Amino acid sequence: MINVITMFLFNIVVYNIALLYGTTGEIMIEKSGSLNLGVEGTMAIGAVCGYIAACRTNSLFVGVLVAFLTAGLTGLVFAFLTVTLQANQNVTGLTITTFGVAFYYFIGNGLSNSKGGWPKLNDTTLADQFRDVEIPLLSKIPILGKGLFSHNILVYLGIAIAVLMWAYFAKTMPGLKLRAIGENPGAADSAGINVTRMKYIHIIIGSGIMGIGGLYMGLNMGGTFEGSNCWINGYGWIAIALVIFANWNPAKALLGTLIFGFFNTLRVYNATIAYNFPNTLGWLNKIPAQFFSALPFIITLLVLIITSISKKNSSNEPASIGRNYYREDR
Amino acid sequence: MSDFHLVRRADFSIRRLIICYAVGILISLGIGALLLSGLGINPFEYYKRMLTMGLIGNRYAYKCIEGLLKIFVPLLITSLALGLAFKMRFWNIGGEGEFLIGSICAAIVAFNSGSMPKIVTITLMCLAASLSAGIIGLAVAALKVRFNTNETLMTLMLNYIMLYLIRYLGSTKAPWNFFLNPESERPIFGQFADNCKMGGIKIGNFTLLYSVIAAIIITVIIYVYLKYTKQGYEISVVGDSSATAKYAGMKVGKIVLRTMFISAALIGLASGLATATAGTISESITNNAGWTGIIVAWLAKLSVPAIFVTTLLISVLQYGCQAAATQYPAIDSNFADLLQGIILFSVLAADFVATFKIARKGGQEK
Amino acid sequence: MSAAIELKGICKNFGSVAANKNIDLSVGKGEILALLGENGSGKTTLMNMLSGIYMPDSGSIFMDGKEVKINSPESAGKLGIGMVHQHFKLVERFTALDNIRIGMGKEAGTIFKKDTTRKEVLDTAAKFGFNIDPDKYVYNMPVSEKQTLEILKVLCYGAKIIILDEPTAVLTVQEVERLFDVLRKMKSEGHSVVIITHKLNEVMDISDRVAVLRHGEYVGSVETKKTSEKELTELMVGRKIDLNITRPIVEKTHPLLEIRDLTVKNDEGAIAVDGMNFYIRGGEMLGVAGIAGSGQKELCEAIAGLRPIEKGQMIHEGESIVGMPPKKILEHGISMSFIPEDRLGMGLAPSLSITDNMILKNYNEAKGIFVDRKSARQEAQKTIDKLEIVTPSTETPVRRLSGGNVQKVLLGREIKAGPNVLITAYPVRGLDINSSYMIYDILNEQKKKGVGILFVGEDLDVMLALCDKIMVMCHGKLQGVVNSGHTTKEDIGLMMTGALNIVNKEGKTDGIAKDSAIEEKKEEGHV
Repeated sequence: MINVITMFLFNIVVYNIALLYGTTGEIMIEKSGSLNLGVEGTMAIGAVCGYIAACRTNSLFVGVLVAFLTAGLTGLVFAFLTVTLQANQNVTGLTITTFGVAFYYFIGNGLSNSKGGWPKLNDTTLADQFRDVEIPLLSKIPILGKGLFSHNILVYLGIAIAVLMWAYFAKTMPGLKLRAIGENPGAADSAGINVTRMKYIHIIIGSGIMGIGGLYMGLNMGGTFEGSNCWINGYGWIAIALVIFANWNPAKALLGTLIFGFFNTLRVYNATIAYNFPNTLGWLNKIPAQFFSALPFIITLLVLIITSISKKNSSNEPASIGRNYYREDR
Repeated sequence: MSDFHLVRRADFSIRRLIICYAVGILISLGIGALLLSGLGINPFEYYKRMLTMGLIGNRYAYKCIEGLLKIFVPLLITSLALGLAFKMRFWNIGGEGEFLIGSICAAIVAFNSGSMPKIVTITLMCLAASLSAGIIGLAVAALKVRFNTNETLMTLMLNYIMLYLIRYLGSTKAPWNFFLNPESERPIFGQFADNCKMGGIKIGNFTLLYSVIAAIIITVIIYVYLKYTKQGYEISVVGDSSATAKYAGMKVGKIVLRTMFISAALIGLASGLATATAGTISESITNNAGWTGIIVAWLAKLSVPAIFVTTLLISVLQYGCQAAATQYPAIDSNFADLLQGIILFSVLAADFVATFKIARKGGQEK
Repeated sequence: MSAAIELKGICKNFGSVAANKNIDLSVGKGEILALLGENGSGKTTLMNMLSGIYMPDSGSIFMDGKEVKINSPESAGKLGIGMVHQHFKLVERFTALDNIRIGMGKEAGTIFKKDTTRKEVLDTAAKFGFNIDPDKYVYNMPVSEKQTLEILKVLCYGAKIIILDEPTAVLTVQEVERLFDVLRKMKSEGHSVVIITHKLNEVMDISDRVAVLRHGEYVGSVETKKTSEKELTELMVGRKIDLNITRPIVEKTHPLLEIRDLTVKNDEGAIAVDGMNFYIRGGEMLGVAGIAGSGQKELCEAIAGLRPIEKGQMIHEGESIVGMPPKKILEHGISMSFIPEDRLGMGLAPSLSITDNMILKNYNEAKGIFVDRKSARQEAQKTIDKLEIVTPSTETPVRRLSGGNVQKVLLGREIKAGPNVLITAYPVRGLDINSSYMIYDILNEQKKKGVGILFVGEDLDVMLALCDKIMVMCHGKLQGVVNSGHTTKEDIGLMMTGALNIVNKEGKTDGIAKDSAIEEKKEEGHV
């Protein structure tokens, strides 16, 4: 029974950390005033390129780097189209998603038909680099230890990124400048901040972070997931929802990942849990899996509506989001 | 670099725009060709196959046309509907969700239609689909008008909520669940009775579905609606400048509500027609029309005739990729999405080249 | 005195409109320069080029004798130029300290040094006598505090040349005093200050030298000590020029529109129109003169029903139009056209064709569900012919027309509606002479038909030649109504700047806005 809880906690983290990457990456982009709906596609591109690079070189590090760079390149396309060419952000973002997911299938099918499918992770040194690493002391805590403090290196990296990003926004000059751009690019511009350069940099880095999340999905599936669904499987869209739920705060994104991850894991394990705790949680079995899947979106929809109705200034949504900045517009 | 800056072109030439677009599309096809070559496929052979959709030398060519039209019809109506909302600068990206709820409601009618005549059931299905989707659209518009809730994100969330709703219906065995096939052990959606399936006009072997005729009629109606009616006029004024609309005494909120209802209801109608054509429902009933429609509407710059042409081209692209997949198993229909993406990127860039020019600082221009 | 910055031959065009023509201007070190000019004379455009918002089309800028390029606010900041814009550039959701901090170069790439920056900011504030709470959020600040913050920001960035765009427009008298103290301190620290203002008393009070722009051209500069308000007014408005505009004398009919004690607030909630009283008779053109932002826009919007009024009455032919929707007011026969600064924002849908813009206000009159484009096209063609609008066709989007033609479309539509009161604001804004004359002719023709016209204008010469009477506004208050036959440009200039008020002056009938005859008329209306 205790095993069930530990396993449950473990899975919350291990199956949903990609969400944290997607969310923190999108937060970084949205803080610069751009709404990038291409999270799903960006993650897919990072996943494909990063995964193949990792398998070819047998190096997790190279994989992460390639995922970051290729996804960053996607971000560059988004930045070029929306910041320099002033194209519509919604359309550009959606196109990145269409393109990215199609790219995943294009490569995936090319590989599976001529070269025996995605490379597998089993028994490679790569898999070894991806193994779980126990945090001394903390991992010895009963029940929680194995669940929360014994994970692969990318889990720790994702958490580190979230924490660092929080500190970046809250405690550093460039972070403050970025927030100023997201709130009022005209004000930031007149304060001497190079709005275009800052937007480019942060869109590229944010996209790169999403790419690592994509790679994580691929690694976690071990390259075995060849169903009709893409590895990313809608996580990019949940990430966009989570940005709102986390109120554009990377630290809250970490918490939000655990909450959304909790529902997501419950979806898979509700039967197991109901079986193990028949008296107290037996009712879980009656709740359909799809309800848990839809829950992040339902909650986010409610959050959106409630914050807009209660006109309090509680939302941290960057004020200029979705609008392109052109200095000479009066 | 900093010596240059961007200047909006004062003049506008449709020729320049078309040339820019053509160059953009050619570049896209070039990139696609590179990708194909990377997989060891002769791009010219592939493109030939794709663009002819396997029509040539095929005994069942009429089936190709039928297949093409099945993609074309829902995409056309959806793109038109989205264009309607975009024209008003209302970001309805909830085409998928509106399509799905429409499909569910059409199926409710279909599975409970008893033995009503075909024309009645199909009309009722379309009505149910339109109304349900329209109400969703209306709710979103009401929140936007009243509380300025972000419509992009709202409609986005609704897409996924609807997706999981239909998944739920498709995987839950229960006595109340009339959506499922009662014979099957595994939960699968049931087939509609014959009186709920879209009929058509037989022309030799080829069947021209009534839904195609409906789509053409709808296109004409929307064209007329936008171009000649007072309501269409109001939409363009609100979209162009809502300050001017207010100044002219228009009730902007009311116009937004009405237009968004029509936009969503049309998507519902597309869904009703597609559902009746398929004779069943599934979560892939949309064929991504809600997403692709956004790209189509934007590529076509929201003009009705251009949407018609663009939809046709995109449908050829999509169906052509499906058809070519029989000969090139390494490439599936997703290649169409890939090309679509690249094409849109280059067209967005082409748009820019057509409307801006780079001027040197220091008065050299003119 | 050596020059801190020198402009030579600066030109800037927006489309076909020349905003600045070949301007030479220099600002000395430790000098307070007042930049004076009517609305639309190109002051803000010129200063925006110094602060990097716009780039000049031609001309050069010298600092300390060396030519410099200013192509962004960033490079302006590096050169030590700081501008306090009329519309504040502040991040509402930041504290005062954070708003300043984002532009402080020193901390770049580092974790905040909260205390050192705070100390620096507070020191600068103390040095110049600002009283500011660094942790207060901007959205909690009143306007004057926001402005203080803007100035402090620029000072903290180490600006040696500080440009203030109409800083006193939003301040009370006491606040202006405090601001001027600060400016004098800046001067004593060796900073150069450029202050854009219309208020002559302030110019006399604060500046060392006054540079005057008129119609985008540099008129000249004078030392404040050696000049007078009268001379400055002349420089600003120019000597009276005979424009050869005809002013047909038309039999004035009964008053059509009467405004009584009208008070209106602007978007920010401040009083924009303050207890105005006036009337317009049929066959009369009443000019409205005033510095930009004196409440003209709010007045027009209030009459057209686009802006709720605080108090007062608006009576049109004996019936109150207060609270009526815009459409109703239009049907009553009051037509309003307002050319905003960007010329397309209000009244026209720029992407739509001339035909479609023609029917903006009456598309609903056609029967059935369709827009009647056939007669609209004929109307459009008629208007095009009559007003000599240069366009390829009736179906050309208004956006593609040149400025003058855009304005003719707008005015043509308003006239077409057959109003008996025509309100037109800045109808010749940005137009060349010929187009302007065309517009004047159109207005005169309306006047002959017995229409009452309210002409909100910029150019006093034009108004003196064209209007029967001129009503002067300053800060939303009526300064008086004068008969254009019996007045001088200088008097109007003084009234515009608030130096002269003749509303309560005895024995000068032209100046009285309340007409006793109206009083009776109104009584009748109520019976």
